Formats: sequence, structure tokens, C-alpha cells
Amino acid sequence: MVLLEGKGVSKAFGALRAVDAVDFFLQAGEILGLIGPNGAGKTTLVNLVTGIYPLTDGEIFFKGTKINGLKPARVSRLGVARTFQIVQPFPGMSVRENVVIGALFGKNGTGRSAKTALQEADRWIEFVHLQEYRHAAVDQINISFRKRMDLAKALAMGPEVLMLDEVMAGLNAKDIEETMTLIQRVNKDLKITILVIEHVMKAVMSLCHRVVVLHHGRKIADAAPRDIVRDDHVIEAYLGERYAKAQKGAE
Amino acid sequence: MEGKYRKSWIIGLIALIGFIILPFLAEGYWIRVVTSIFMYAIITAALNIIAGFAGYAAFGNIVFFGIGAYTTAMLMLRVGFYWWAGAIVGGILAAIYAILLGIPILRLRGHYFAIATLGINRATEQIVLDWGSFTGGGKGITLPLPQMEIQTFYAMIYFIMFGLLIFTVLVNAFIARSRLGYALRAIRDNEDAAEASGIFAPRCKIIAWAISAFITGITGGVFAYWFSFIEPATVFDIMIAVKAFVMMMLGGAGTVLGPVFGAFLIELISETVWGKFLTIHMLILGMIMMAVVILIPRGMIDLFRKKFSLSALLKNIKNQAV
Repeated sequence: MVLLEGKGVSKAFGALRAVDAVDFFLQAGEILGLIGPNGAGKTTLVNLVTGIYPLTDGEIFFKGTKINGLKPARVSRLGVARTFQIVQPFPGMSVRENVVIGALFGKNGTGRSAKTALQEADRWIEFVHLQEYRHAAVDQINISFRKRMDLAKALAMGPEVLMLDEVMAGLNAKDIEETMTLIQRVNKDLKITILVIEHVMKAVMSLCHRVVVLHHGRKIADAAPRDIVRDDHVIEAYLGERYAKAQKGAE
Repeated sequence: MEGKYRKSWIIGLIALIGFIILPFLAEGYWIRVVTSIFMYAIITAALNIIAGFAGYAAFGNIVFFGIGAYTTAMLMLRVGFYWWAGAIVGGILAAIYAILLGIPILRLRGHYFAIATLGINRATEQIVLDWGSFTGGGKGITLPLPQMEIQTFYAMIYFIMFGLLIFTVLVNAFIARSRLGYALRAIRDNEDAAEASGIFAPRCKIIAWAISAFITGITGGVFAYWFSFIEPATVFDIMIAVKAFVMMMLGGAGTVLGPVFGAFLIELISETVWGKFLTIHMLILGMIMMAVVILIPRGMIDLFRKKFSLSALLKNIKNQAV
């Protein structure tokens, strides 16, 4: 089943077509990778899905219903959650209060009291292993923890589609491993469909079932990870010769 | 934890009993002073709902005070309402005014919203001034005098203001623990992230402003009855709102008791000390504002929670420098 689908999705900022007639879809249960050089339009595409920007052209459907034109809050409540490339916390609140916002106002939040939402928040804080820092202020925890807090908040919203915008950027090797395990658990155990924007190719290769490549706002490839790394267009635009050779050498 | 709660309950109870018996012991002057402290505490706690929780600097919030006062006066004089019915209608009208104006101007963020509320206050005052045949204009208007002994009357107003203050604190406490409270604080901290988390920000802000307006409007009505004479320059006085801001920030914006605490402190000092230096009054108020922002940006309540210490103050200054 196709959960999320975009047809001819375009966004122009003045003369710049940041996203240019991109068709994409997200199968229920899969992990889709979205890669491409900086400025390719990856984050813009996510912002179009979540309703932060209006579309210049095209349509986006979630479970068959058109969602472009809806306000971000409305899209979130339908079951599309996201994290931000640069974590967007609520700085005046504790970790627990940050996560509880997701539990209160996400897909399953309607009618939930603050008290039950706090219990729900605790569940997700444990899921991302942050229970020790539950009552810490946001500015007291490091970037790796903040990214996990953001993930817990998104999960507390009870999403069907989760879009992760560079959750691994700025993390060390150990934290990347942990985050990869977490993403796999979210996908397999919680059956949440995931879209990941990522530059860490190791993560893309091992996590994603399928990869879409954007370049200058256009889709230049859409295939399994194994095939993506052999695609000449992708090597030229993004991966580079060295990566391609290293891959061949590894095989 | 439990012991701490018990202590604050006991302090609260003592304060409650103290304020209940005060009018029977104190002389008229002090009853009026404390009534006026209550009034400032209500205005500040009501302001806290939109400015403290949601972080929207409604500098012109005093417009609702004026609307409440004039609605009460007009309904008593032109229609023959009881004063309390006039005050309640005044509160409701103020809330409707907040909703109608909030729909366009709560889309503005930061300074622009603050400026818009100032404009609304000024414009509304001007309407009252120009509509002299109905409102009495700049000369002001006298309300029907209460049919009771003056001491009893002042005691009654005292208890009404006290009751209204308790009501407003309870509203604040309720909001702080409610879904609305979480939404407002999320909006204050990061409005874009709040919307991405499923919060309908415009709706929440309008509800918060309407509650704030309702309480401020009723208070204006009680004030009109209490003073028996109102004029636009008094009830639309922007300085009341500015003072309320200083009180809120001193006590702790976005906390339940902070604004009330700040109002008591400033109004008590103002009444006993600065009253004698009328011209320098504003200067001192401004200096307090600056000191609060630099030394205790989160207010006195926060300082007490973390145990009062010089190092805490110095840390705040250091954080400001960064």
C-alpha cells in the first residue's frame, strides 16, 4: 500500500526551482532514503509534505487524501511526524515536557489529559534511552541527546509516517550505531514507515530499502541502495568517483 | 518534596486568613492600599496568561480594563444594570473584543504584536473620547454612588478584589497544568516547532488572550464602581500595563504565583516609598525593569526555587553576556 505520494511536486523560490516536478511515493512499512548534495531540495521536499511551504505545483496525498494546502498542525495530526535537521526544541522546558508536547498534540493526542500524556512521554523517553535526563533542561544536554529527544517527541505523536531530517549529522561513530538500531526498531517493532534524509552513506546503505536521489531539485534516481551506488548519474552528482571505487574495492 | 508542599500550603493558608481578617483590624487607608494591590495582582496575573505563558507581549492589554470600566458605567447609567452585572458583561465584551482583534493581530509575532496592541488601546481610547454624548468624553463620567456606608463599601470592594484574585490565580494554576498551558509554552518557546507538533497556534493564542481580556475587563468594571468616577486617561492608561509587565517579570513570567508576588512587592513599595517622589517614580520603575532582565530574567520565584545566592545572580549576568 502506498502511504504517501507526491505527483509533480514543485517549489520555486523566485527564479530558483528548489524542487522541480518530483514524483515520489512511500510504501507502507519501508524505509526510504532521500539523498543528494547540499541544496538538492531534500529538506524543502519534507517541508512541502508537512505543510510548512505551499506548493508551487503538484499534489501530495497521504493515504489517498490530498494534504497539500493543509496547515502543518493539521498534517501532523493526520499522522505525519518529522524531526528537524537543526533540532527545534522548546528551550524553556525539560526533556520530558518537550516530549509530552508530541503526546498531547500528535495523532493520538486529542482528548488526552496532561497526566496520561506524561506517562506516554515517559514511555518514549525510555525507548530512546534518555530516562536519566528526563528532568534536565534542554540546554543541559548535548546534541546527540537533543536529537534523540526530538525523535522521542516525534514518536510520541503516534505517527504512521516519520520523516527524519539528518538525525545522524554531527554524531560520533558510536552514536550513529545506536541511532541506526533505534531507527530499525521504530520500523520493525513499531511498524512505522520512515523517510530518512541522510549524508552518512553507511547508514543509508544498511537502513534503507529504497533510495531516491535529488539533484538541483530534480529526481535523478529511484532504486535499491545496491543499484544506487552504481548509477553513473548519482556518482557524478553526489557520491563521487572515490566512493564508487571504494565500493567496488569492497566487493 | 512532600514537606516542601506542606510548607507552601501552610504559608498560603496563613496569607488567606490574614487577608480575610485584615479589613476588620486595619484602618481605611490600608484597606484601600491592599485593595489596589489586589487589583494590580489580578491585572498582572491576567497579563501573565498571554504574555507569560504564550510569550506574546500584550502591552495594550489595559484596553480591556477600559472596556470593562466603560461597559459597567454605561450599563449602570443608561440601562440601569446592577454594577456586578455590568462588570460581567464588561468582561464578556472585552473577551469578544480580544477574539475579534486577535484573529488578525495574533498572526503578528514579537514586537509587531506588541505595537499592534498599543495601537488598539490608543484607538479605543479615542473612540471613547470622541463619542462624548454617550460616554462623557474626556471630562469623564460619574457612576451611581453605592447605597451603603462608606466603610462597608470599601470592605466589600476589598473582598470582591480578593475573590477575583484567587479566581485568577486558580485560572493560572489550571492553565499551567492543562493542554492549553503546554501548547502556550510551546508557542512561546518555538512557534514553528509547536505547529509542526500538531498545535493549532492561532486558536490557542486567541483563547489565551480572550481569558486574559475577560478577567481584565471584569476588574475594570469593579474599578469603575469602586472609584465612582472614570475618565479615558485613567482607565486606558498604558502605564498600568507597563507596571504590570514589570511586576510580572520581577515575580516570574509564566509561573502561577510569580506575577502575584511581583505585584505585591512593587505596589507595596510604590505605595509606601515612591508615592512621595512622584517624578522619579518612572525612573525607578525603569531601573527595576533593567535590573530584573539582567539579574533575574526568570523572576524571583525561580531564584527562590534554586535557593537565593549571589553566585546565582552572577551566573545570570554571565549568561547575559554570552
